[in-house]
Amino acid sequence: MNVLGIPILTFVTFLPAAGMAVLLLLPASRTRALKLAANAFTGLEFLATLLLLARFDAGSGGMQFVERWPWIKAIGAQYLLGLDGISLLLVLLTSLLTFVATLSSWGAVRTRLKEYYVFMLLLETGMIGVFLALDLILFYVFWEVVLVPMYFLIGVWGGERRLYAAIKFFLYTLFGSVAMLVGILVLRGAHRTFDWTAMIAAGGAVPAALQGWIFLLFFLGFAIKVPMFPFHTWLPDAHVEAPTAGSVLLAGVLLKMGSYGFLRFSLPLLPDAARRYAPAMVVLALVSIVYGALVSLMQKDMKKLIAYSSVSHMGFVMLGLFVLTPLAAKGAVLQMVNHGLSTGALFLVVGVVYERRHTRLIADFGGLASRMPVYAAVFLVMALSSIGLPGLNGFIGEFMILMGTFPVSWLWTAVAATGIVLGAGYMLWLYQRVMFGPVVHPANESLKDLTVREFAAFLPLLVLVFWIGVFPKPFLDIIDKPVERIVRIVNPAHYEAPR
Amino acid sequence: MTVPAGFGLRPLAPELVLLGAAVAALFVHLFAGRKGRRAAGCVALAGIAGAAAALALTPASAGALFGGHLAVDAFALYFKAAVLLAGALTLVLAFRFFDVEGGEPAEAYVLALLSMVGMSAAVSSVDLVTTYVAFELFAIPSYVLAGIFKKERRSAEAGIKYFFLGTLSSAIMLLGLALVYGLTGSTSYAEIGPALAGARPWPALAAMGLVLAGLFFKAAFVPFHMWAPDVYEGAPTPLAVFLSTAPKAAALAVVVRVLTALFGGWEGAWGPVLQVVAAATMFWGNLAAMTQKSLKRMLAYSAVAQAGYLAIGLAAWGESGRMAVLFYVVAYILMNAGAFGLILLVDRGGRFDESVDGLAGLARRAPVAAAGALVLLLSLTGIPPTAGFMGKYFLFTAAVERGMVPLAAAGALNSVLSLFYYFRIGKAMFLAEAPPAPAGGVDPAAGRVSGLVTAFLALAAAALLLGGVLPDLLSGPAAAAVLGR
Repeated sequence: MNVLGIPILTFVTFLPAAGMAVLLLLPASRTRALKLAANAFTGLEFLATLLLLARFDAGSGGMQFVERWPWIKAIGAQYLLGLDGISLLLVLLTSLLTFVATLSSWGAVRTRLKEYYVFMLLLETGMIGVFLALDLILFYVFWEVVLVPMYFLIGVWGGERRLYAAIKFFLYTLFGSVAMLVGILVLRGAHRTFDWTAMIAAGGAVPAALQGWIFLLFFLGFAIKVPMFPFHTWLPDAHVEAPTAGSVLLAGVLLKMGSYGFLRFSLPLLPDAARRYAPAMVVLALVSIVYGALVSLMQKDMKKLIAYSSVSHMGFVMLGLFVLTPLAAKGAVLQMVNHGLSTGALFLVVGVVYERRHTRLIADFGGLASRMPVYAAVFLVMALSSIGLPGLNGFIGEFMILMGTFPVSWLWTAVAATGIVLGAGYMLWLYQRVMFGPVVHPANESLKDLTVREFAAFLPLLVLVFWIGVFPKPFLDIIDKPVERIVRIVNPAHYEAPR
Repeated sequence: MTVPAGFGLRPLAPELVLLGAAVAALFVHLFAGRKGRRAAGCVALAGIAGAAAALALTPASAGALFGGHLAVDAFALYFKAAVLLAGALTLVLAFRFFDVEGGEPAEAYVLALLSMVGMSAAVSSVDLVTTYVAFELFAIPSYVLAGIFKKERRSAEAGIKYFFLGTLSSAIMLLGLALVYGLTGSTSYAEIGPALAGARPWPALAAMGLVLAGLFFKAAFVPFHMWAPDVYEGAPTPLAVFLSTAPKAAALAVVVRVLTALFGGWEGAWGPVLQVVAAATMFWGNLAAMTQKSLKRMLAYSAVAQAGYLAIGLAAWGESGRMAVLFYVVAYILMNAGAFGLILLVDRGGRFDESVDGLAGLARRAPVAAAGALVLLLSLTGIPPTAGFMGKYFLFTAAVERGMVPLAAAGALNSVLSLFYYFRIGKAMFLAEAPPAPAGGVDPAAGRVSGLVTAFLALAAAALLLGGVLPDLLSGPAAAAVLGR
């Protein structure tokens, strides 16, 4: 469907790619022009997604702005884009975080600027496309397009072990992707189409036994991306070595691609298998929550700590999805956004001091609060948001997940809740060691507080953290109908049982 | 639907143009002195262009021509075009190679054309004797091509190795063809097919095994692949492109035709064999490529692995499987030629660096070429949006449709394995810094970047991207060319 006379979803998807083309034409020596153009395009992209929000009809649970063109006649694949509330929130998150990440790179990236911004913009097109594609082959294409720029972002602009981390990331996720591809092929064999909307309309066309196999193949693809224990080992390496902006997008958006995949494809397309494997998935999610939190407690490196905390938080998301109640699933979607905001911001927080001190070791800091008061405030808000303090966004998502889980099993709820306690432990301890106490390292004496540009990058995140924390209703309204729709497909018993 | 007798040589126009160009190139070389070598190459390239034009004007005819010896059907035309593409890419790279290395043998151009005539005939042939003659016509010049660079020992070694093993495989195939003749009393595919379907199993299976062994040798399928890495590595790089693409395409075409027309009734026997062959070829090629330090040898093994993906389509068979083979053959020719072309990008004082490390820091010095090479690598690995992905996609779909999910999964797993070494190339180009110049030595990063090869890489990459974004452009003709519609 068109907005203002243009196919809006195509426009939103390929605007960054157009920006990439513009950047390719600029000479590499014009660094200022390159920076301005890249920031302009990511900014425009964010505005374009806001336009989507303005035109979005929250009252409908179906796909909106649908664009459908024949694409590959040989296999019946279509160029099929569409958007519901879940996609919309994630698209907004993507465009916002990419804009923030690009802004934060202004002073941080000094080498090979042109390639850097080209890869950033290509990455954005891939990420947006993943959340909009409703044809499984198109989805797979965008899914893979994301890999390549991220490989280079880690491999070129990363830390000391960047080569190892980059190829590990690439190999691991490609392994998951091709498993998913085989799953897509098998699914197509049952449905004779790649069209998500047609598959939903067809209902239970796939035999239960076949669903199980497809679910496992999809599981490999999505669980590696999330990542769920025991497929999480690529994450700490990738996060630690990636440049700040890469970490922000990796944690903020790329991990969501995995949970989005479960929600969009595994649950509604394979409902029987999803119900059958739900207990196992919940157990893995609980293990991820507790294990991620425990490992976070032991970390000496700030980035690694936040990376493992992602494993824990994404465990919450997976728990919310697989208890198969509408409340928990809505909490999970909101938590995807929350995690993107707070963890993205935490990586930026680490990036700020890394840029100044070129170390991320917790032991190299201490007492920063007295030198960088604004920074300390921002860090505190984000840490508390990550912990789930009431009044901030993290609380809403986690609370909804726990509320939705409790009627199903008090034990699961109890185990998950320990994750929150541990989360408060590692996050506050981190804050204490970095921020409080005397300044023991002379190099920290003269640290400068946040610049205006750095603060500008944090500002939208801060606003949203408070907004979702205090008044989440607009966000929940957007996702209400589509999530109900999916849960109704996968767990109809929930709606029939007397409550 | 036989064509009237007065039809003449019109359907053979592409082959005649190639042959004419070969003769012309020979004379140009003879009379134009030292400069005639390059002139002979240009004549050969013009001949390929002419043959392509003639091919475009040749209508597909359903029945067999020339007394039932040759069929110029859509299938044959498709593979003839593929062979011409491989030849043209080879010649362009050959210009660059001999510019730098010197010692340009004009014979190479002539022999390549003659070999292409043989391939062109082989993909058309529907008669046992014609098949064998066409096979020899393309095989014998290719033995010489492998060994043509006399100033290098390993080229001579490659030629000898290819010659001995090649003739052995031809003899094995001939034995198989003789058995087929003995069983059926005919040399025409059209008559043999039904007769063979009712033949006693063991002789028929023995004949099939021998014929397929000979064909698999040319296609470098495991376990008949042993020659391939040595020959591809030893041959001069442009001719390695030729040897790893054109004969493979021609052999695949013959395999498809033979499996359709001769052994169509025995699918239950060769189907499982091809599944094993496909899996073994992929794994062997990819695992062996992983440990290579030389870019050329790595690509040689990669060429073997790529043949394994093609074998998936043969194993899956069915219309979609054969369409996938046709699609992937063209993608493979472009990818492989481009990847070998990367070796020829930088001239290091009259030599080419064949090591992966030699590419270190290339993205800084030759960004366009490196970007093109990156697309080639993505395509070889099978990552969208490239023709390599689409081709693999078609192959895997065909396998899944026939219930061969494990084979498709093996193919997908091999894509991951191949990433490991393909992206060592990507890593060298984009991530690694060029090593510092050794004291007093030649700076390894020095050397001229070829504009010709840059354009070559960029065009190949553009074609692969186009094939990945709009695969119908290629899958349409491929589907139309599938045999037995």
